[in-house]
Amino acid sequence: MKVSFPYMGSAIVYKKLFEFLEHEVIMPPKPTQKTMDLGVKYSPEFACIPLKMVMGTYLEAIERGAKVLVTSGGHGPCRAGFYGDTHRNILKSLGYDDVELIIFDAPQDNWKAFWQNVQKVRNGLPWHKIINRMYTLYRFVQKLDELEKMVQKIRPYEINKGQTTQVWNEIQEKFDKIKTRKELYEVYEECKKMLLSIPTKEVDEKDRIRVGIVGEIYVVMESSINFGIEEILGNLGVEVERSLYLFEWINDNLVPWVLRPRRFKEIIKKGQRYIKILIGGHAVETVGHIVDFKERGFDGIVHLMPFACLPELVTQSLIPKISKELDIPILSLPIDEQTGKANMLTRIEAFIDLLRHRKKGKTKEVFVDELQQHAEEERVVMV
Amino acid sequence: MKSIYIGVDVGSVSTNVVAIDRDVNVLFKTYIRTNGQPIDSVKEGIRQLKESLGDVEVLGVGTTGSGRQLAGAILGADVIKNEITAHATATIHFVPDVRTIFEIGGQDSKIIIIKDQMVVDFAMNTVCAAGTGSFLDHQAERLKIPIEQFGDLALSAKNSVRIAGRCTVFAESDMIAKQQFGFSKAEIIRGLCDALVRNYLNNVGRGKNLEPPYVFQGGVAANRGIKAAFERELKSEIIVPEHFNVMGAIGSAILAKDYIEKNKVKTNFRGFDAADIEFTTSSFECKGCSNRCEVVRVAMEGKVIAMWGDRCGKWTNSL
Ligand code: SF4
Repeated sequence: MKVSFPYMGSAIVYKKLFEFLEHEVIMPPKPTQKTMDLGVKYSPEFACIPLKMVMGTYLEAIERGAKVLVTSGGHGPCRAGFYGDTHRNILKSLGYDDVELIIFDAPQDNWKAFWQNVQKVRNGLPWHKIINRMYTLYRFVQKLDELEKMVQKIRPYEINKGQTTQVWNEIQEKFDKIKTRKELYEVYEECKKMLLSIPTKEVDEKDRIRVGIVGEIYVVMESSINFGIEEILGNLGVEVERSLYLFEWINDNLVPWVLRPRRFKEIIKKGQRYIKILIGGHAVETVGHIVDFKERGFDGIVHLMPFACLPELVTQSLIPKISKELDIPILSLPIDEQTGKANMLTRIEAFIDLLRHRKKGKTKEVFVDELQQHAEEERVVMV
Repeated sequence: MKSIYIGVDVGSVSTNVVAIDRDVNVLFKTYIRTNGQPIDSVKEGIRQLKESLGDVEVLGVGTTGSGRQLAGAILGADVIKNEITAHATATIHFVPDVRTIFEIGGQDSKIIIIKDQMVVDFAMNTVCAAGTGSFLDHQAERLKIPIEQFGDLALSAKNSVRIAGRCTVFAESDMIAKQQFGFSKAEIIRGLCDALVRNYLNNVGRGKNLEPPYVFQGGVAANRGIKAAFERELKSEIIVPEHFNVMGAIGSAILAKDYIEKNKVKTNFRGFDAADIEFTTSSFECKGCSNRCEVVRVAMEGKVIAMWGDRCGKWTNSL
């Protein structure tokens, strides 16, 4: 089958998945303005941005020859649960009758449908092969996520601007070529060394700023839609950590309940302090992670929400209260096709100023210290 | 010869240029329409400054606003800062005990919360343009009232008409309806001012703890009708600082001054000739990796002097 999928975050993982299943993979392009234009044109106006971007990605993948699109579903009362059907209808109305859309909902929602889907993508491979390869993939995701977390802690302190991102790009290329578990572990060790050899400057613990990124999964994971917020923050000298990593998502959603790590349950429990019932999307997790980041000593939170995203709108309305009770600054950034980059950069930069002041106390002095720091590296301070 | 610090605030609607002396006295200020030509408006501002002040020694330059990087590259700025920090810096200087700043400009409006001279929270309007200067301009034009008289007319009204201010589209149709009901222009304008303030406080200020002293600045602060509407809504005095419409520029000048003084360095200012030099901007998509960054390039007489927009620093560092 000529298979493609939505592009979100480390898309090489999905590519690997279908390679392991011996499908012909049509790699969807990383979303660009063109993806956005296509998606916006063919989606309902009041849909949220992830639906539109995924729509655009599908159309681009089909353009490249994809015949089967595989995606995960959504559950709970947010409209993400209708994404699949909406996409399917749009594709049909555009005349793509020969393109199949396979939606994996959480197995516990409907075991039978899940099983049928598995049979479709299984590609007739023997089970022992599948299990073995899926285990490799599981570790693949884990290792890649570990490296990405390192990237997020090294980038703010790198001496040669841009080096960490370059190494991270190389790492992803290396991972893309991995075929076996043995190779995986070797490449992992090699990549770790590459990261650790990046020259960084010593920064005092009290001058370190840590920001947690939370929100709806697509805008949190996909850098092309969130303006590369992790890099923006990293370049401003800020360590970041996301609420969502693919490995954890797999653990939370695909690994059977009994085998799941405890952490997910803890996060949900923390979230339920503020949102008692399930309202879909990632609202409870978002809040849970805010609490968690605070408990782990983070300095601030950036909350990403697609404009008109219902669960995140609920979160946003709770934010003043949460921020006050937990005593942690939270910046909520709505993301839409109309979001301007200049406006977004202004907010982020001002937010980081605010966090630094909080840490140090005095407004003007901090600016000047910080400006001096920057100026030593670059002649002029730029975002 | 006077020694000055220059501050430049380039927004999408207006470009403001100021000069301050070592004691932050404002020696010069100008307000120019950007008209989509930020380079020309920055040059024009600098030219006017030079004309007005004659021979001066420039000790430092700061830029702010959405065009801060571009302006910074053209002028050779020492400090390039976001407008929230710049606005707060200037306001704290003039009104040291300020707690809440309302800033309404042409396209953007902000609320900045200050505590102990420190920014502790802020908000900016995003997608919705209700509650900004451009909306007022548009309504003034529609009612055929010069924008300068708008505020005074609002003050002359005895009563207010409730205008639905949730969104500019509704506000406009509601105003048309109220006009047809026979309310006077003055009453409708006062109603509009109330609606705008209500909408601004509800949207931008949602969930924020607003405490006096309040300072109101940005171009719209010239409008006495809006100031009065704020006072009615908050039941408190609203301070409009003398230089209300160029506070961002003043803030960036102050930041430049602090930076230069503290670090005892020389300015990077390119000199007043910058006004005559030819600058061009262009952009291209880098195909170096899957990020496909949109890289902006500023050239001075054909030679590239600044680049940004690359995620990896490949271009920024190539200079
Ligand atoms: S500028 Fe750097 S990060 Fe951006 S596309 Fe080019 S190589 Fe990639």
